[in-house]
Order: sequence, then structure tokens, then C-alpha cells
Amino acid sequence: MAPLFKYGLFSADTSLVVAFIIGIGFGFFLERAGFGSARKLVSQFYLDDMAVFKVMFTAIVTAMLGVTYLTWMGVLDLSLVYLVPTYLAPQVVGGLVLGAGFVIGGYCPGTALAATATGRIDALVYGFGLYAGTLAFAEAYPLVKSFHGMTSLGQVTIPQYFNLPYGLVVFAVVLMAVGGFWGAGWVEKKLAASNGGSR
Amino acid sequence: MHEYTLARHNDLIDPLVHVWNWQIPSYLFLGGWVAGMMIIVGFFLLRGRHREETSVTGVLPAVSVALLSLGMLALFLDLEHKLYVWRLYTTFQGTSPMSWGAWILLAVYPALLAVFALRPPDVLRDLWPAFDRLSDRLAEPRMVRVIAVTNIFLGVGLGIYTGILLSALGARPLWNSGILGVLFLVSGLSSAAAFTHLVARDRGERELLATSDNVFLLVELGVIALFLIGLLSGSQAHAQAARLVLGGPFTGVFWVIVVGLGIVLPLIVQSLTTAGRLAHTALAPLLVLAGGLALRVVIVNAGQFSHWARF
Amino acid sequence: MSSTATTLPADRVGRSMTADEAAARSGPAPYSNPYLAGIGLGLVLLASFVLMGRGLGASGGVSAVVAGLLNSVAPAHAQSREWLAGYLADGANPLKEFLVFEGLGVFAGALLSGLLARRAMFIIEKGPVVSRSKRLVFAFIGGAVMAIGAAFGRGCTSGQALTGGSLLNLGSWAFMLMVFAGAYAVARLFRWEWR
Repeated sequence: MAPLFKYGLFSADTSLVVAFIIGIGFGFFLERAGFGSARKLVSQFYLDDMAVFKVMFTAIVTAMLGVTYLTWMGVLDLSLVYLVPTYLAPQVVGGLVLGAGFVIGGYCPGTALAATATGRIDALVYGFGLYAGTLAFAEAYPLVKSFHGMTSLGQVTIPQYFNLPYGLVVFAVVLMAVGGFWGAGWVEKKLAASNGGSR
Repeated sequence: MHEYTLARHNDLIDPLVHVWNWQIPSYLFLGGWVAGMMIIVGFFLLRGRHREETSVTGVLPAVSVALLSLGMLALFLDLEHKLYVWRLYTTFQGTSPMSWGAWILLAVYPALLAVFALRPPDVLRDLWPAFDRLSDRLAEPRMVRVIAVTNIFLGVGLGIYTGILLSALGARPLWNSGILGVLFLVSGLSSAAAFTHLVARDRGERELLATSDNVFLLVELGVIALFLIGLLSGSQAHAQAARLVLGGPFTGVFWVIVVGLGIVLPLIVQSLTTAGRLAHTALAPLLVLAGGLALRVVIVNAGQFSHWARF
Repeated sequence: MSSTATTLPADRVGRSMTADEAAARSGPAPYSNPYLAGIGLGLVLLASFVLMGRGLGASGGVSAVVAGLLNSVAPAHAQSREWLAGYLADGANPLKEFLVFEGLGVFAGALLSGLLARRAMFIIEKGPVVSRSKRLVFAFIGGAVMAIGAAFGRGCTSGQALTGGSLLNLGSWAFMLMVFAGAYAVARLFRWEWR
């Protein structure tokens, strides 16, 4: 039965070794996808390279389908998989701020680590920014604490919140992703044509 | 473990845990590193490499003397009674590795200086003509062979001593393994080969050292396996000690930092290098050196965690 | 047979030299197909669910490291910070954290991939017009802004968008859509940095 760790197959200390191995896979595929390059990443927001969208949604769909099938087969107990609690208002604001930081800095925390590993000096400096920002937030936390804890909805999924069958939402996300992939290809082609193939 | 930690994790109360800080691991690391370099230097001397202008044999002795002195300084800082350090040299205890170590260290300096004197920097030659005559005398083939063999023997002795120093302390089951000396020797050799690979200017030497470092790292993996298997098949206290890195509190740092980042990753990178797929960079050597230090830190700290009292 | 045996050493030397030079001369390999990389990433994420019962992440590791560093410099101050308290409870070592060790793995995995594809090199990623120092200043600012966004969002693109997205977490999806919205909203303002 999975998750193996929750069923006590290995100790918390051993889980750090598992974390390292999982991280190797994570870093490897991030770099393969080109996410060790800020220019590649921000191209998403200038619409001439939709790789961020494609990779992210392929990964989401792959993992989502995997989780769904493993749960149906009774292998994975989804109730034991940690779900981050929802705090709608601060998360909406946090998302907007994070999106802005993505364009300004050129990376997100995970990709910055992959980029630092491959020698991107701007990614290293971005990492220092991350530490500084985290420290600043820790210092200022008493001031923003009430907003940070607003609109708490607990651990809730989309199917639970909207009272929809799980499978239906999975199906809708797959459809959306496929539509999105088609759209992304269309945008790329359109832009390449209007730029006269200069890029 | 918890009850033990609360009740006995107390400075200077039996069993003395955590009375060794950074000094001892640093000393063991530097000592092992120098030991490896002595073996490499000796090997290169036997092959007559010291006659080449670009050979690392000109660099390594000076670096070794500096590193060893740094290690001795760390050891000295660790001593409770600093003024009595000379007493180590007024006695010789045949069964005490401390005593052996003190005397080996005393012999290591002249052996390294002899290599240094084989090819002294021009400044020294000009400054002191007698130095010139000395180096000519030392450069006779027979003398070179003696210096080479002495360095190799002392290197092996020093490398093993850095491990035996720990394993002679029977009260710490994790250290109480004869393989520890071999493990530290091999680790020291890999550190030395990595460093030499880093500073070598001669293409042939660089290739040779990168290749041999790969072999040392592979052997080190094997010795680690033997070390753990040996402990696991020993008494209950020994098996318990091995479990400190097999599911216990030192598992993460041992397998990820010492083995993963300090041995396996540089082994992969260096194998790609020697296969001609990557250029030579400082990356793998630096990882190996950091891994060598991490190995000593983990073994020393975990060892102080392991003991007999609970059985 | 004997002729090949005698030519082998020279042949070896010659081949390794040309391979070395070729590696130095030829540029980086092209990136993987985004859909294949995405499937790989998704399978790693799935493995994390199955093995650990939790997804991937990155910003949480940063918080743990900050807690650990602050705790070693100013322990009393660090422990009085409510935001970091979770990492420092009961004298626990904040660096013995899933996300910290996962981060070490990310470093190693990306390094291996980058080396194999000849993409590992010391450079500053920037657009053609912006100066290097200005780019570095904005990289730092971007990182700080991102950290604050991640603190409010309870995660970043890995921990929320990717992990929560695949678990159909309500807050994650709201967060993810807002990340894209926020990025597209300011993209024009920072065009000088990239184009």
C-alpha cells in the first residue's frame, strides 16, 4: 500500500535519502526541459515559446492520471497524501506577486536551483534574493499575519468544493490541457510567422 | 535514544559525547589527504616524474607540509592541556595509536621536505648554494628510490593511523572496526588524487590521476559496504552503531552528502571526463574533497553517538 | 588483428583528443521535447506521492535553510520568529528536512543533465540590451518578490502549481491561474530585461 512512507516502510531519516533521489529526477527533467535558462522560462510570457505551459501541464496531467488510476486500483490511499490547505484571498494575492517576481527575476525557486547548478550566475543572485525575501517576510510576519490567515477553507479539492465527481474534473482538466497544447502550438506558429522567422 | 539523550547528553558526564568538535574531523581529513599525496608523490618519484618541469611532484610536498601543519594546529587546538604536548615525545607506548601517530607525524615532515629538496625553487637555490649541493646529492637514483619508498610507507602508515586512532577506542562501537583504517586510507587517497588532478598541469598526469581517482572512489564504495556489513554482523552494539547510518539519525547526511554528492556524483562526472565527453573542471575534485571531510565529520559525530551503555 | 592492436593506443589518444575538442567546440544540445520532459516530471511527482505521500517543492526548503542559518547566528531571535517556529520546534535541526534534501538532489540532477547536454557554463542569462549588473540587481529583486509571493501562496510553482495542481487542490489552481495572470500583467513592463 502506498504512500510507502506513511505505512512506515522506512524511517524519517531514510526518507531524506528518498528525497534526494526524487530531487535528482526533478532537477534532471527541469534541466532537460530547458528550465535552467531564464530566457527560456520568461519566453512563456512574451508568447514566443510556450514550453513552460506545455511542460507544466503535461506533468500535472501525467501525475493526476497516475494518482487517479492508482487510487482506483486501490494501490494509493489519496487521503494520506498531503494537501496544502486553501486560503483563497492570500493565495490569489500571493500568486499575482509570485507571477510578477517570475518575470522580474527570471526563475521560480525550483528552476533557480537547477539553473544555479548549471552555472547561471543570475540564478545564484536570484537565490540570495529568495533568502532575503524569506527573511524579510519572517520579520514582518506579525504585521501581515491576519491577512495571511484569511479565508481559510481547509484542505479542499476542486471536486469537493464544487461537489463534482472526481473523474469528471480529471476528464475536464485533460480536455483543457489538450486544448491548451493545441492553442500553444497555434500561438507559437502565429508569432513565428509575424516575426518573419527572425527568432 | 530519547531518554539517553536527555539524561546523559551532558558535557563531561559518562559517556563523554560531543567532546570532539570540528578539530578532530579536520585533522583526520587533512592527515588522510596528506597521506594520499605522499603515496602519489612516492609513486611519481619511482617513475622519474620529478625530472619533468611540469610535474606535480614539485608542488605536492609544499602543499602537504602546509596542510599537515594546519591539521596539527587543529589537533593542538583540541588538546585540553596544550602545554603538555611535548610529553607525547618523551615516551613510546607500543600499543597506543596516539604514540604511533605522534612518531609517524615526526617522520612525515623530513620525508616530505626531502621530496621538496629534490627540486627546490630557484629562489632558494640562488639564496643558498649549499641547497644546490644537497639537492644534487638527493637526486641520485638510489636516494630518489629511498625517498619514494619512505614516502609511500609513511603515507600508508599515516592514512591507516587516521582510522586506527578512532578504532582503538573500543568504547565506541561505530569506530570499533579494523576496516576504518582502510576506509580512511582509501578516502585520503581519493582526496589526494582529486586535489592533484585539480592542480596538475601535465596532461598525462591529469588523465592518470582522474582515472585513478575513479578507481579509488569505487574502492571506497566497496570499503564502505564492507565496513557496514562488518558492523552489522558483529555484536548487538556494533549492529546498532551501523544503524545510525541505516535508518538512524545520520542516514540522510551519510548517504546523500558523503556517498551521493561526495563519491557517486564526482565518480560519474569524472568518468565522463576521462571518457572524453566532458572537459576537465574543478567540479569533481572539489566534490571529492568536500565528501572526504564530510566522511570524517559523520564518522566522528556518529561514533560519539554510538556506545555500549544501553546493552 | 596485430595491426589493430599496435595502432590502438595512438588511435585512442587521437580519438579522445578530437572528442575533447569536439565537446569544447560544439554548442549545447537542444532541449528535450517539452511533452516528454513533462511526462518525466509528472512521473517523478507521482513517485513522490507513492513513496512519500507528498509532492515536490522548493520554497519550503528555502524557509528551512533561512531558519537554520538564522538559528545558528541568532538562536533566540530565530526562535522568536513565529513564521520560522515550525522549523525550530523541540530543538529539531531545520536542515534535516525533506525539501532541503530534495533540493540537494535537484542540484545534482540538473548538474548531470546540464553537463551531459553541454549546457553547464558560467553565464548570466539576460536580454541583449540590459547591462549585466542591472540584470543581477533585478534577479535579486525578483527573488525577494517571489519569496514573499510564495509565503502568501503557501508554496511556489513546484509545491503549489505542480503538486497541488495534479491533486486538484482548490487553492493551488487559484494560485496557479494568478501566477500566469501576474506574470502576463507585468511582462510588458520588464520587456527591456529580456528582449
